Amino acid sequence: MIGNDVIDIAAARRESNWQRRGFLKKIFTIDEQLVIASSADPERMVWTLWSMKEAAYKIYNRHTGIRAFIPHWFKCTVNAADKGVATCDGLRFYTKTLIEGNMIHTVAVNMPDNLNNVQLISPTAIIKEANLLPYTICQISGQAIAASRSHHGEFDLSVCIASH
Amino acid sequence: MDREQIIGKLKAIVKPYSTNEDAYNHLTEDTDFIKDLNINSANLVDIVLDVEEAFDVVIDNADMEKMLTVRASIDVIESKLV
Repeated sequence: MIGNDVIDIAAARRESNWQRRGFLKKIFTIDEQLVIASSADPERMVWTLWSMKEAAYKIYNRHTGIRAFIPHWFKCTVNAADKGVATCDGLRFYTKTLIEGNMIHTVAVNMPDNLNNVQLISPTAIIKEANLLPYTICQISGQAIAASRSHHGEFDLSVCIASH
Repeated sequence: MDREQIIGKLKAIVKPYSTNEDAYNHLTEDTDFIKDLNINSANLVDIVLDVEEAFDVVIDNADMEKMLTVRASIDVIESKLV
């Protein structure tokens, strides 16, 4: 399974004030708040951790059918290479975040090896039908494979796990 | 405060975060903040914080988790005001 989340930092600055009193406390665990406070670039860390939670939630939501506003359930750690782990309810999600200019893009998978097989696809390749999770058709096998799309500000990114 | 008064106050709170004007103008208890009003999920935190300020209540995590719709939010606020 796969989930992604993109953040346009310029749009985030217009839409959110992460320094607002109470904001971080509602979303982040104590450990995450410490990581943010000690980061050289707290803003970047806020949105990196947030995108990890959102990407992991997409898989969690698919896996459990639970729909709720639960960012604080996902306990996230991230290393210097922007690879991370999010845990929730005994489930483990593996993440990789790409930061380029104003873009923060996190992809989460439930099997760590799949982080090496993530493929960017065109948003138009994503098929969304009522009561079905988003998927795409593998060009080689013709099979339906799980896909994920995220858009924010000027970014619109879709991913799937390449089967070959 | 009755449900109608709560919904009125809540409607004013969600306005700056809503990006679907049509859905906003037709807001009902069934309205979903993300699916209908197209509210950015990071702004759900702002709605929770705004509700705390406007109604002078404390929303704990268990309450926040439910606040994806107008109905669920009114239920949470109502339970705090009793």
